[in-house]
Amino acid sequence: MQSLRSAVLRQIRVPVGPSCRFLSAAAQLDKAEVIDRILSVVKSFPKADPSKVTPSSHFQSDLGLDSLDNVEIVMAIEEEFALEIPDAEADKLDSCSAAIDYIAAHPMAK
Amino acid sequence: MTRVASPPVSAESLLLPMAPQHRLSGLQRQILSLYRSFLRVARTKPPDVRSRIEKYVGAQFRHDAAAVDKKDFQQIEYLVRRATKQLESLRNGSITGFQVVDGK
Repeated sequence: MQSLRSAVLRQIRVPVGPSCRFLSAAAQLDKAEVIDRILSVVKSFPKADPSKVTPSSHFQSDLGLDSLDNVEIVMAIEEEFALEIPDAEADKLDSCSAAIDYIAAHPMAK
Repeated sequence: MTRVASPPVSAESLLLPMAPQHRLSGLQRQILSLYRSFLRVARTKPPDVRSRIEKYVGAQFRHDAAAVDKKDFQQIEYLVRRATKQLESLRNGSITGFQVVDGK
C-alpha cells in the first residue's frame, strides 16, 4: 500500500504558478484592491456625491447620508465581496476606512 | 485546511467605544437590523420584485422616521411590530411584494 501510494504520488505534479492561490494562508485581498473596490461601491451609491468620496470619508458626516443609507452601503459592500456581515459588525462600518479595514482583514472576502 | 469563518475582531475595536454622537440606542439598532433583514429578504426575490421591495421599504422607513416623533415610543414600537410581521410574510414567500393601497 505504501509503495503504491509513493508510486502514485511520484507521478503527480501540482503546478505552482501565478494561477495557484493558497486559500488557507494568504487569502486576504490586496489592500489597494480593497480600497479601489470599496470606493467604487460607495461612488456608485446614488445619494453619494462621487467627487466627495475618499478613503477617509465618513458616510454620514462627510457624505450627508442617513443611517438607512449606511445600511444600504454596507449591504452593497457585502454583495461586492460575497460575504455576509453580522449586525454587530455592520453597525460599526460607518466610514470608507472602517469598511476598508474590515474587508482587508476578512479571510472570506472575494 | 482550516478556514476561519468568523470575522476578525481587532483588539482596538473592543477597547474603543464608538464616538458618543454615533452611539445608537437599542431601539435604533433594532430598527436598522430590521431594515437590513428586509434588504436581505429582498435579495432572495427576482430582480424586479427585489427593486420594488427595496424602493417601498426604503420609502416607508424614511417616511415613518420623519412622521413619527422620536419620543413616541408606543408608536415606534407599534411600527416595529408591524414591520416584523410584514417581514415574516415576505420570508414565507406567501407575499411576493407590496402593493400600496390608499384606502382613505
